[in-house]
Amino acid sequence: MKLGRVATVSRKTLRSLRHDRRTVAFLVFVPLLMIALFGYTFGGDLKHVKVDIVNLDHGSMDQSLAADIAGELQNTETLSVTHYFGPGNGSEAGPSLDRVQKAEIWASILFDENFSRDVGIAAFNLSHGLPVEPASIKIRVDATNPNIAQAIFTEVQKAMQRVLVEKYHLIPPISIQQQMVYGQGAKFIDFFAPGVMGLAAMMVTFMISIISFVHERSSFTLDRVLTTPVTEGEFVAGYALAFGLIALIQSMVILGAAILLFQIQIAGNAVLVLLTIFLLGIGMQGLGFLLSSTAKSEFQAIQFLPLILFPSILLAGVFWPLEAVPEVLRPISSFIPLTYAVDAARSIMIRGWGLEQVWLPLLILAGFAAAMLALSTYSLKRRK
Amino acid sequence: MSNGPVVEANRLRKDFDGTVALTGLDLRVERGTLYGMIGPNGSGKTTCIRILTGLLRASGGEASVLGVKVPSKSILSRIGYMPQELAVYSDLSVHENLEFFAGLFSVKGEDFLRREKEVLRLIDLPSRKDDLISTLSGGMKHRVSLACALIHDPELLFLDEPTVGVDPELRVGFWDYFNELKRQGKTIIMTTHYMDEAVRCDVVGMMRLGEMMAEGSPQELMSASSASNLEDAFLSFARRPRA
Repeated sequence: MKLGRVATVSRKTLRSLRHDRRTVAFLVFVPLLMIALFGYTFGGDLKHVKVDIVNLDHGSMDQSLAADIAGELQNTETLSVTHYFGPGNGSEAGPSLDRVQKAEIWASILFDENFSRDVGIAAFNLSHGLPVEPASIKIRVDATNPNIAQAIFTEVQKAMQRVLVEKYHLIPPISIQQQMVYGQGAKFIDFFAPGVMGLAAMMVTFMISIISFVHERSSFTLDRVLTTPVTEGEFVAGYALAFGLIALIQSMVILGAAILLFQIQIAGNAVLVLLTIFLLGIGMQGLGFLLSSTAKSEFQAIQFLPLILFPSILLAGVFWPLEAVPEVLRPISSFIPLTYAVDAARSIMIRGWGLEQVWLPLLILAGFAAAMLALSTYSLKRRK
Repeated sequence: MSNGPVVEANRLRKDFDGTVALTGLDLRVERGTLYGMIGPNGSGKTTCIRILTGLLRASGGEASVLGVKVPSKSILSRIGYMPQELAVYSDLSVHENLEFFAGLFSVKGEDFLRREKEVLRLIDLPSRKDDLISTLSGGMKHRVSLACALIHDPELLFLDEPTVGVDPELRVGFWDYFNELKRQGKTIIMTTHYMDEAVRCDVVGMMRLGEMMAEGSPQELMSASSASNLEDAFLSFARRPRA
């Protein structure tokens, strides 16, 4: 293999892009847009979820536990209490439920008349070994969006605990002590930024690779190239180098943007992350090359994109952990290269792992890239 | 340098999924010859050239180019190929196309600049050197395609319809250059539709239905068919019953 000829092919490929400003913009801005959009939409916490509080609690011994919890709820950023009805407004329970039904608010949180008294009795019974009938908070919730419903439950629970512990010193007999082995202070964006990086590199290298090769075939430049001394391996390697480089640049753009915009953490070696994406880019370029031989036009080539993209988005652990993938589909995840790229990049960036821990996914990616390059070369060598 | 034929094909056959493109072609081209293949569409001219350049595998028979059985990578640095289609990168400039193809033949530095100047003069496009191919006219693109086939100064040229889309004045220039290459001992095998061009070849092969119908110098072919021009000669041979 002559490196000079490999470099000639790479230079030609990159030069073609240089003249095509729109494609360059696509290569840079699409990943940028992806990380910015995903970061701002998925990365943020839920805020200002509209709820009503209907507090009918009369209190007990001059104290209203419900009023204290309601006060806590009014101070959270997650919830926005649109209406607060104090004791004596019992008739408001019905209209508040109506507002949930009309989707004007997400939940109506109801404390009944004897809430404080019931809590007191339950606490007394608990300390005297008597049967306990717990007091209850009724949350009538529109659970159309499970994330929002969960956020409301969590906020109520947190408010309740804060009041019981801090104000009434009712300390629960069990406490969970968390010790973060990895991911101290990690946000959701730290989890999915490596995935978005891999996804963008995969999508773009595959797409421009398959279109480039279909164009090489349909414009007969490939025929002309094959009547020169360049070997099929050199030609494939030249393209791989160029597209690997593009994947690398994209990853740097995404990493830079994620650090600047969202302050993501990179606990490990950033170079190792880029190597991961480089291997993925080379492999996906090879896959694009292979599939290009089955497409007669750019229009047919583009039809492969959703076929490759959707399983990768859904089954490679980009946004959801692999554990969330149904067991019947999990074997498919093992055949998706992005799974290994995301796993390796995430472990390097959040866990701070080095080569000694992530060698296996990197080896699989390297094997995938090598296999794709070998098959691409073989497919070119086959003459009709 | 071998004294044998530059191109030799014996009983060359090619089938494409049941369609026969070549039915047993014999061909022999001597060094320094300007060989013209004429024939209607589908007569097998392009298929023959694609087998000789190694782009297709023959279904039967055998062929050798520059003394080496094809397909073979070893001869590719010595041949130049201009396909019928444009086969240049429209998103690169004229200079970048030439530099790319020269690079594949390891023609670099001063050698490349000298060759580039020569071929640009031939195709009469020195002033458009830095223009993108996509901004050129159809004829200009065709000229760049020829320049790419010549950039490494090959000893054997396969030109598939090299003058299509080229204006008459420039066609004269092309033919002067082909004759100059011939004087330098280079061999040119071309296909053409223009009978007035075929007359300028040393040897003309008349192809029809995948076989060589007749072969010889233009004068020989016209004498043998008692025709006053190659077109009539072709029609005369075509009307004869097949052997």
